[in-house]
Amino acid sequence: MSKTPNTADTRDLEHRLDSLQSSPAAAPSRTANWWAGVWPPTVAVLLLLLIWQTYCWIAQPRPDLYPSVIDVAAAIGANWDSGRLPAALLTSLTRGALGFVYAIILGTIIGFLLVEVPLLRRAFGPIISGLQVLPSVAWVPAAILWFGLTDATVYFVILMGAVPSIANGLVDGIRQVPSHIRRVGVVLGAGPIALHRFVLFPAALPGYLAGLRQGWAFAWRSLMAAEIIATGGLLGFGLGSLLQQNRELADLPGVLATVLTILALGILIEVGVFTPIQRRILLRRGLTEAR
Amino acid sequence: MDVPNAITLAGVSKYFDAAKPVLDNIDFVVAQGQFICVVGVSGCGKSTLLNLIAGLESPSVGDVDVPSGRASVMFQDPSLMPWLTARGNVELALRLRGVGRKQRAEEAQRLLALVNLADAGDKLPHQLSGGMKQRVALARALAQDRDVLLMDEPFAALDAVTRDLLHDELERVWRETGRTIVFVTHNVREAARLGDRVILMTARGGKIAREWDIDVERPRLIESPAVSTIAGSVSTALRAELAKVTNV
Repeated sequence: MSKTPNTADTRDLEHRLDSLQSSPAAAPSRTANWWAGVWPPTVAVLLLLLIWQTYCWIAQPRPDLYPSVIDVAAAIGANWDSGRLPAALLTSLTRGALGFVYAIILGTIIGFLLVEVPLLRRAFGPIISGLQVLPSVAWVPAAILWFGLTDATVYFVILMGAVPSIANGLVDGIRQVPSHIRRVGVVLGAGPIALHRFVLFPAALPGYLAGLRQGWAFAWRSLMAAEIIATGGLLGFGLGSLLQQNRELADLPGVLATVLTILALGILIEVGVFTPIQRRILLRRGLTEAR
Repeated sequence: MDVPNAITLAGVSKYFDAAKPVLDNIDFVVAQGQFICVVGVSGCGKSTLLNLIAGLESPSVGDVDVPSGRASVMFQDPSLMPWLTARGNVELALRLRGVGRKQRAEEAQRLLALVNLADAGDKLPHQLSGGMKQRVALARALAQDRDVLLMDEPFAALDAVTRDLLHDELERVWRETGRTIVFVTHNVREAARLGDRVILMTARGGKIAREWDIDVERPRLIESPAVSTIAGSVSTALRAELAKVTNV
């Protein structure tokens, strides 16, 4: 009798082994997680500003050519008070956000087509990868000739910048789904639609998100370039236009103030939106260590 | 004994090259609720046999009949969806089966409890040990509610302690759920420990070399003399099969 395994004993032993070999389910606190991503770059920026200001105090360079942090900060204040900076911010952010949403929709549709139709992928895959390398500013002259000085020009350039990255991100994401994950989906009885919805798309999310992140960077860059090159007409007044206007006024503190605003926005979106989402996805899948 | 057949293979052959059949004229019947272990060296066609029963491949000649419909399958790799919790993985199988939301939660909890993971439902796959992942995969396979469960070396990558416990676990789950199980392994002790019947495949040529009926009383212990005796006999036959190949 002593040789017969007792079911209760087995389950208890198994339970003990489990607790030795597994880690707790508790996820790291979300605010701690966010703060861990925010403080190092903030300190780095403050440090750079401090070095810059110290240099100006010690070397006393010509303020019209090498303005100090304080001069630039004053220029930001002046641009803000004159109403030009808030207007430009609003215009550029609206365009950027709207253009990016269009790019997500279009890029995702194109990405799915490329994944589903191998012939399309073989035919258009290299072209789309090539478009990723082509700076989308190169489309500005053509876009002005096609659409005139309208918002359509700006959106066209944003799309040409962002869509290839987003489509490629989705294609790479889905192609990198391990075959055993796909096989399990089939074995569990998923039809083609369910397989995409419940298995392939969630599995491809890290790659898709990387594509979105790069797509946003390209969209923002393209937007700024388009706004610098194309001004006037029916085009609204964006950050790029402000930059160009400040240059024409030979207002270097104003130019630097605008550049820093553009940079700050870029960092804010990167640190405030993409990094936390990406970290959450990777942490959940155990693809990165908690800090 | 008037138990209906869960799986019937009649004159089944599978070949990609007619001169070298992977499976050659296999006749093979599994009664409902039986636990069958298929043993053989690497490349003997045992995984192909499983794929045919699962309907993942079709036979070149002959008929495969699984009256209860498609079987559920478990592989050596647990292949859990890494973005879903243990519960989420089981619920996915239920969802793909068309089970409603509320019932899904209850059923998933019941199945997790069945594999002794009642309090690990909220853990993500990377927080689980290999044995726990494989039990979640078992719960997921059971969630499909198919009479036939096919297992392709599911415990091959686990350590010996975990594997012994999983044998007990699987035996209990099998008795509680009444599933028909076809269990492919290259481990003869495992086969003798678990099976009602052990089938040895020839090393090459895709035939059934020999069969053993095992009527050792359950629950069994892998170290019991009765299991060891049968394992010894299977092992000797397996080596004889291997010797035929190396002599060619």
